[in-house]
Amino acid sequence: MILHHLRLTAFRAHAETQVSFAPKVNLVYGPNGAGKTNILEAIHYLCLSKSFLASQDGYALRRGAPYFELEGRFEGDRRSDLRVRLAYVPEQGKRILVNGAPLERLSEIVSMLPIVVFSPADHAITAEGPEERRRFLDNILSQARPVYLDDLLKYRRALRQRNELLSQYRGRPLRPEQEAALQSWEAELVLLGTRVIRRRLRFIDTFTRYLEDAYARFERVAEQPTMTYNGIAPLDLDADEEAIAEAFRRQLARVARRERERGRTLVGPHRDDLVFRLNGMEVRRYASQGQHRTFGMALKLAQCFYLHDRLEERPMLLLDDVFGHFDDERRAGFLDLLQSEAVGQSIITDTRLRPFAGVIPFDRPEHRAIPVGRGADRAIVSVETAVEPE
Amino acid sequence: MHILSESVEALVEQLTKLPTIGRKTAQRLAAYILKMPREEVVEIARALVAVKDRVVYCSVCFNVTDTDPCPICRSPRRDHSVICVVEEPNDVLALERTNEYRGVYHVLGGVISPLDGVGPEDLHIRELVARLNPEATPPGGDGQVAEAGASYPDGPRPAVQEVILAMNPNVEGDTTAYYISQLLKPFGIRVSRIARGLPIGGDLEYADEATLSRALEGRMTL
Ligand SMILES: [Zn+2]
Repeated sequence: MILHHLRLTAFRAHAETQVSFAPKVNLVYGPNGAGKTNILEAIHYLCLSKSFLASQDGYALRRGAPYFELEGRFEGDRRSDLRVRLAYVPEQGKRILVNGAPLERLSEIVSMLPIVVFSPADHAITAEGPEERRRFLDNILSQARPVYLDDLLKYRRALRQRNELLSQYRGRPLRPEQEAALQSWEAELVLLGTRVIRRRLRFIDTFTRYLEDAYARFERVAEQPTMTYNGIAPLDLDADEEAIAEAFRRQLARVARRERERGRTLVGPHRDDLVFRLNGMEVRRYASQGQHRTFGMALKLAQCFYLHDRLEERPMLLLDDVFGHFDDERRAGFLDLLQSEAVGQSIITDTRLRPFAGVIPFDRPEHRAIPVGRGADRAIVSVETAVEPE
Repeated sequence: MHILSESVEALVEQLTKLPTIGRKTAQRLAAYILKMPREEVVEIARALVAVKDRVVYCSVCFNVTDTDPCPICRSPRRDHSVICVVEEPNDVLALERTNEYRGVYHVLGGVISPLDGVGPEDLHIRELVARLNPEATPPGGDGQVAEAGASYPDGPRPAVQEVILAMNPNVEGDTTAYYISQLLKPFGIRVSRIARGLPIGGDLEYADEATLSRALEGRMTL
């Protein structure tokens, strides 16, 4: 998939900015605060309907503006041109139009335009709490399978409903019809949660091979990366729905009393975790800083290859300020990969041009270096022309 | 801002109480009403009030009607052994438009949704149970509901043999369907669930991918 052209209106630092991209490697470079990351954020909005920074839509609105609007002209490997427009109006929310037709649900855009984001925040996937790993998992699966996202959103809805009921009934004796209502929500929760868990297990089964391949690209030392699902119960990766539902119901029965006391759902896919290991040692606890970084990069690269196979579409890679942490050898290796046919279009942000100029031939039409500066209103001023390497 | 006419302003304010009518639309409507002949405006006003004064809920199926019981519940040409359970009166209209269904209806008046403060006791679920078995006291019943069955005009009603649950295929609709199906189990009658998300008999290309995948996986057996 290729993004040819992007327009940002009243989006963060950008009053009105237009950027044209080349089909392979793009470097957006300039001083901090010029709005480089905002460009990647805008692309993320267009592809997945939200920011990759954990922030609310309102914060992305330029101060004093009544709304923001983003527009991207994409070309798919398989489909023809897609013109995607996203508008956000406070109070009214977001709206997405694809080739002029409004989407009924924002989630419909997910999986049309696959992307993978590399950012310094990836460190959290291997180093921090389960929430980060679930987010990673849900992101890939949602892009790979629209039906997964549909089930996940429904599961979250059923969870909110059941939590509401548990909190209303908290510590009170229940009438038969209230008991029956609670059981109905449990049945719905188990039905939807089972589907979510089953797809996660199948995914892990497949994804492990991609992770091994990607890790081997970064690390010459033979280290074996693995991942396991730490969920409601020890389950086989090919467990069927009935086995998963049974395990889920057993766990709910086990915590039933505590759930009634605390007034919320205590087990389920919303609490599950992934465990990453290197040679059998848990990455979160025992890995060095370097290993965390390598593992994080490998996860994202594996995501890229997995989505490519699954969707027959090469995802766009967004690399937000990640090269600063690389030594020369790794940077060169990674930039070689970005220029190869193995991956599609990539967009890099960095403060400097120099470390890239010697490696990527920006004078060729398939690559482009895009300088950005701080204009009078802090927005990007120069965007259209490719520059000669220094 | 200077208000030119307090009457126009009052009308705009009243119109914005309606769903999907924003201030701008309300202003446009008010301007239009201002230009309409007086008699037409009176007709609209009368129709509005009549809806509140004359329309009642059918005491059998809880659909909206001018006469109680409603024409569908009174019709000898309908199959009274099949009840289709829907969320709102509008769903009855939609199903009637297909001209396919010859049974009768039961309007719940919503779906179970704790987040909206709606529980089973806020819906016409007890009355549904009472229609299946007028003699039995429904679960948690207090006797008042059994009377709901007394409105059949002509003699004894036929025994209900099938209940079709036609709630919307979302989390709340599915949960409500499950709740009712559990409640009806002791009656030993046929209970089925139809998915309203997929248009029946065609137009599959307009269904979104997720809905299609769901349909392919096959479900909706209760
Ligand atoms: Zn009726």
